Amino acid sequence: MYAENIAISLDLINRHYQEPNRNRYESRYFWEELYTLIAASGFSTIEIPYEPVWQFGGRSGVPFNRYCVNTKYGDATNYRALLAASGISQVSGVTFDPNLFMRNANLDFYFGATGHFAKEAVGHAADLGARYFAISPSPFHGRVAQYHPDIENDLESFTARTVTLLTDLATTAAERGVDLVLRNEYWSLFRGERILALADMLPETVKLDIDTANLFIAGIPAEAFIEAQIGRIGCVHLTDTDFVDTQSVWKSANPEFPSERATQVFRDPGTGSVDLTGIMTLLDKLDYRGAVTCSARQTRDPFRALLRTRILLNQLHK
Amino acid sequence: MSNIRYANMCHWKAIPYRKIDNFREFYYEDKTNSAYYSDWDNILKYQSALGFEGIEIAPWDLADIVPLFGSPRNFAEFAKDRGVQVIGMFHGAHASHAADHFDEAVRAGREAVDTIVQFGGTYMNTCPTQNYYGTGPLSREEVQQCAKVMNEIGLYATDHGVKIGLHNEFFCAINLPNHRELIESTDPKLVHYCIDTAQIAILGEDLLKFYDDYHDRISTFHLKDTASANQPDAVRYAQDPEIADDGTRWFWEPGQGELDLQGLYRLLKQHAFQGWISIEYDGSPDLLASMAMTRYFLDKELRPIYD
Repeated sequence: MYAENIAISLDLINRHYQEPNRNRYESRYFWEELYTLIAASGFSTIEIPYEPVWQFGGRSGVPFNRYCVNTKYGDATNYRALLAASGISQVSGVTFDPNLFMRNANLDFYFGATGHFAKEAVGHAADLGARYFAISPSPFHGRVAQYHPDIENDLESFTARTVTLLTDLATTAAERGVDLVLRNEYWSLFRGERILALADMLPETVKLDIDTANLFIAGIPAEAFIEAQIGRIGCVHLTDTDFVDTQSVWKSANPEFPSERATQVFRDPGTGSVDLTGIMTLLDKLDYRGAVTCSARQTRDPFRALLRTRILLNQLHK
Repeated sequence: MSNIRYANMCHWKAIPYRKIDNFREFYYEDKTNSAYYSDWDNILKYQSALGFEGIEIAPWDLADIVPLFGSPRNFAEFAKDRGVQVIGMFHGAHASHAADHFDEAVRAGREAVDTIVQFGGTYMNTCPTQNYYGTGPLSREEVQQCAKVMNEIGLYATDHGVKIGLHNEFFCAINLPNHRELIESTDPKLVHYCIDTAQIAILGEDLLKFYDDYHDRISTFHLKDTASANQPDAVRYAQDPEIADDGTRWFWEPGQGELDLQGLYRLLKQHAFQGWISIEYDGSPDLLASMAMTRYFLDKELRPIYD
């Protein structure tokens, strides 16, 4: 595996939570300088979250959906040219999280809006030349439970509608030449090994996205999981953590922020307790040829995180 | 008792914790100032310590606040325990100019009023419709349709103890050519006005003349400064102008721009304004510093004129 093929996710920029200087993240100038800094830290490939929220209210400076890209650059081709001129030769993947649409008791709204925007996002991913489209198959369990207190009893019907949505999305993704992969998050209705049952109900073109920190938090040994599922893995996210969920934080409304004991759940790659070196060695041994993306989600300092991640990758390839 | 009470319009992005009990431990995880901006307990204490007794929330806060606290009432009580009351919520009356959107616009407005009541608030500052780009220019009929929606929401709000105040952004489809027409087309008993001092100056209104002309309609203020008054149509009618590509700020803390805020306070005194003024810090890189900077300016420059 070559380090230059490993992507960095733009989720290292904290768009949604308060911190000093956060306002700059909403302006175009910030991102256009960021691309050059990413390239300077040795990455030529990026992953982009798809966030419909920036389409609403005129905040199109954040380049995280088709509307924003078209508003600022005209189309995806021009945006890719800007990336290339900044040293970013490829968008490896696009991620999608449906939490925005779990905001009331109307499941028709949730599935309708998620389906609509996810399909738009797949098209955008294809326009960006992305290899994969990684979707979180459910919102936070706790957010679902906030509006649907009987969700555990209604899980069968929720799953059936999710399968319908993802099957339709898989068709669109296949038509556009993008691999649809399922994110495996500890807060999901399909957390841990439940993701396997969901994947079994979907077309074979749908693959798994391994997220190393999420497995660690859920108490699932990553090496064994990867070995068992290597044939259906379409993407690996190298994420790090020190957190293990021993208090059912996965059930809470905002599980990335454990309410009983504040902690930074996701640590910069290489600074937590996940054996990322061992996992990369295993992937090499298994001759894994799929996408690998580093994520410094929740970092306190994105520029330090870029360099910390580069230190990790340099160690891997000594 | 002061004639003016001060609040903050909530421009905090999502605050993930109610209260951090392990503050020192959390700090030591990465030794940055993230811990200082991560719980409502401290955010509200900062406000309270700086003399801002009210908070006006935004509808986009609800998706985080409600699950975090369980209900609007719980949030209001939590804030009250720290010396801050929820005075109201902003509302965007999307597409209220469109006749075929009347029922939806009124329904959304009434729901927002219901939410404010749950928070214990009494103000709903309302942007009359969406951005100019892609919508304007509005016809006379569309302006009247907007007024009809505002009157309808205003009636419901008044019946529920809430004052709606028109709040115009400089990039709204209601813009300089029809700004006053809309105000004068609404029922003064039901529909009030929230002066956003910077927005209307950028729009092209003379702040002091506007307040003088409409002082009997004013329910509250969004107080902020600007160094960019009287922007041309090309800016106001552009696509997504609020966040500038190059980081240019439209809005500044009171005293950091060019508005005659001392003149405004002399008029407030002349018209014996009584009520809440919300300070807005949109565009600030450091809301806590902006809050402290504003408190100093209020105490040294504005409150001596009229308090």
